[in-house]
Amino acid sequence: MNNETEPAAEPAPRAVGAQVATPYRLVSEEGLAPRAPTGGGAAARRVLPAFRAAYGFTSQYFPAILLVAIALTILGVYHSGGLTLMGQQVRNALVLGAIYALIAIGYTMVYGIIELINFAHGDVFALSGFYAIVIAEALGLDKLATSGLGGLLVALIVLFTLSMIAAGLTGMLIERVAYRRLRDAPRVAPLITAIGVSFLIEGFLLVFFGPDNVATNKANWITGNAFSAGGVAVGFKDIFVVGIALVLMFALGAFVRGTKLGKAMRSTAQDRAAALLCGININRTIALTFFIGSALAAAGAIVYSINYGDVQWNLGFRLGIIAFTAAVLGGIGNIVGAGIGGFLIGIIYVFGGSLAGGEWAESLIFAVLVLILTFRPVGLFGIDVGTRA
Amino acid sequence: MQKRTVGLLSVSGAILVAAVSACGTSSSSSPSASSGGGGLASCKGTISVATDLPLTGGDATDGPFPQRGAQLAVEQANSNHTLGGCTLNYTSKDDSSVAQNGHDPAQGAQNMTALAQDPSVVGVVGPFNSSVALTEIPVASQNHLAMISPANTNPCLTVALAVCSDPTVNIPTNSLYKGPHTYFRVIATDNDQSQILAYIATKVVNATKAYVIDDQQAYGHGLAVLFAKYYQADGGTVVGNASLPSNTKTFATQMSDAQSKGAQLIFFGGTSGDGCGLVRRDMGAAGLNLPILGGDGCQDEKFITDANSGSKTTQAEGSQATSAPDVTKLSSSTAFYAAYAQRFASDPKPYNDAKNEPYSPYGYDAMNILIQAIKTALTSNGGQPPSDSTKFRDAVVSALRNTAWDGALGHTTFDSNGDTTNTGFTLYKVASGAWTGVNTYAVDTSGKVSVKS
Repeated sequence: MNNETEPAAEPAPRAVGAQVATPYRLVSEEGLAPRAPTGGGAAARRVLPAFRAAYGFTSQYFPAILLVAIALTILGVYHSGGLTLMGQQVRNALVLGAIYALIAIGYTMVYGIIELINFAHGDVFALSGFYAIVIAEALGLDKLATSGLGGLLVALIVLFTLSMIAAGLTGMLIERVAYRRLRDAPRVAPLITAIGVSFLIEGFLLVFFGPDNVATNKANWITGNAFSAGGVAVGFKDIFVVGIALVLMFALGAFVRGTKLGKAMRSTAQDRAAALLCGININRTIALTFFIGSALAAAGAIVYSINYGDVQWNLGFRLGIIAFTAAVLGGIGNIVGAGIGGFLIGIIYVFGGSLAGGEWAESLIFAVLVLILTFRPVGLFGIDVGTRA
Repeated sequence: MQKRTVGLLSVSGAILVAAVSACGTSSSSSPSASSGGGGLASCKGTISVATDLPLTGGDATDGPFPQRGAQLAVEQANSNHTLGGCTLNYTSKDDSSVAQNGHDPAQGAQNMTALAQDPSVVGVVGPFNSSVALTEIPVASQNHLAMISPANTNPCLTVALAVCSDPTVNIPTNSLYKGPHTYFRVIATDNDQSQILAYIATKVVNATKAYVIDDQQAYGHGLAVLFAKYYQADGGTVVGNASLPSNTKTFATQMSDAQSKGAQLIFFGGTSGDGCGLVRRDMGAAGLNLPILGGDGCQDEKFITDANSGSKTTQAEGSQATSAPDVTKLSSSTAFYAAYAQRFASDPKPYNDAKNEPYSPYGYDAMNILIQAIKTALTSNGGQPPSDSTKFRDAVVSALRNTAWDGALGHTTFDSNGDTTNTGFTLYKVASGAWTGVNTYAVDTSGKVSVKS
């Protein structure tokens, strides 16, 4: 392993496409790679050997340390409230984690393919929640879904299909209008544009749907308890939320690994210029990535509206930032990592909040973000260039 | 035409009410108010009063109502010659700034300084916001100028409660004015409300263990901290609390916590916009069949919509919250609402109807109380304004301390801190999808809560 490469060095494959604005790149891939504990030069090594060793140890075993910390938190909750509380919080964490995971995948896919942190993604999630309301109202799906199991299935299939297509097209539109022309610009330019798009969507939602919580009328689509174990009631809704997230994530994994389009996405992520030389339609591939990421956000939004029953114009900001943390935790650019990161963040949010008090829940999440960026900037699973897309 | 006649009649009715209550107020003045009082008939000159309220920007839906209420009081006093031969000159100041898009403490201090430097001004009705009061009270007090707020509910403006020095309560007590102040208010404080809420939690709901959630805002967090303090004093136990950001959308974690800790009541300090109704919704999702109790921030339509948006569409039922008594339902306010509607009929909506905002009668009563104090000061000086403006202002302040006014809000007197003793709060409960008044409670200065008849 050549971990000693100077961070400032340009990656060799990128040099092929000089027109891909290599001179403007602010962060090189090596900058994201785990730094060797002794990478600070000879002087630093002499001054703080103990500190360096501790840093090295932490960065090397970061995933294990994080998992131990999470396990201790869970045990702490068990200690304070017994098995029932622990079980309930596991259920709460998985439900929340599933929603974070669906949003995080959108962040990670876009980052993987064009190295842009798409801050508008959280707002696409909120927008999709409103799409779902409008579509369900226009087609009378709310009535259909509560009429029986068959009606529910039809309503779900119709709603998921239409909302995901609508959100996917919105994502493609955003990419076409706001990001494509900036693809080769300095990295800060599309980042600021992304924040601008985020404000634009929030403003649109605020004007059209008002500042109050908007009832989705979908909370009673799925009701009833699947089973109860030790005082923990698990509803069909909880199983539905987690199940949808897992099914979609596996379907995405299969798509990226097993199809021609998936292969095109992977090769574009790996090296855009080389992919272009191989005859891959870069624009179409990137647009497809936005379509899929936004469609997954829409799936998350539908799951959210069925589970909670309300959406708000500013819902996307908070959820988006937390999901972004999940993507970084899993290794931004890594689809599997984002999925697992979503669930881990859900666990940290719920158990941390339960043990330390709700006011600390978000501080804990962002403390974890700071720790990842300090000790393991590539995230738990790293950017495996072969699988990222 | 006929309508106008009726309106005029009701105006004179209002004046009559004011005049009659004036008799009871100032024992030293002559009872014949319509002629302006015996010594007052010879009164010469113009006396200035003012309002300082946020009128523009984000506060344009709040301040203009009490402003019009106060203006109405001045106009009625002038047309009725309440001050005999003297007339009232009325100035309206706006403490909004473009930079803040609404009330601005700096603008408030600037307005108050300008008013204090005008020797003809003897009293001000305002401000609307507690943060503005913090900057205005020192200016007004140092210049002996009386101010009566129609809307400040922050208890720490007048009393240094132990909770005011709690760093988690967003009240900068070190900026409080320490000297003797000239500040009064006609609205009950959050301190009064939390004492009543604690009483309801322990004596009406009979819950000994409460789980307290708040929205991290100055009002909500302050109310939660005060509630917890009085609840514990009343024998309750706070089994858990969570101070969550105001845009929190899910409370499942807290519901499981509350269940595990054996809570018998969920208390929410905050507003419906900050999650009060969503807490109720998530209680249903968690199968938590407990009462929920909140302050006036929860008692609105938004709460019911949010609480019922989950899988249980009747989840809001049985929720309880206290709120200021519905002034529109008080018989004492009828004349005011009629007179307001008559006077401001040509104003654009919503300003043409005082019922579109709860603070309109507070502005009206505050100004009437100020006018009565001016009248008392004039009468005790032989019906003439004292030549020394500071002495005049001092006389108005000391007259205000002995206020006993029967106005639109009912009977108002001030305690030694300048806070109103008219502290009623009504407990509302959701029944058949609407907030329904149950009982009105009042708290006296010793902290004793009783049911108001």
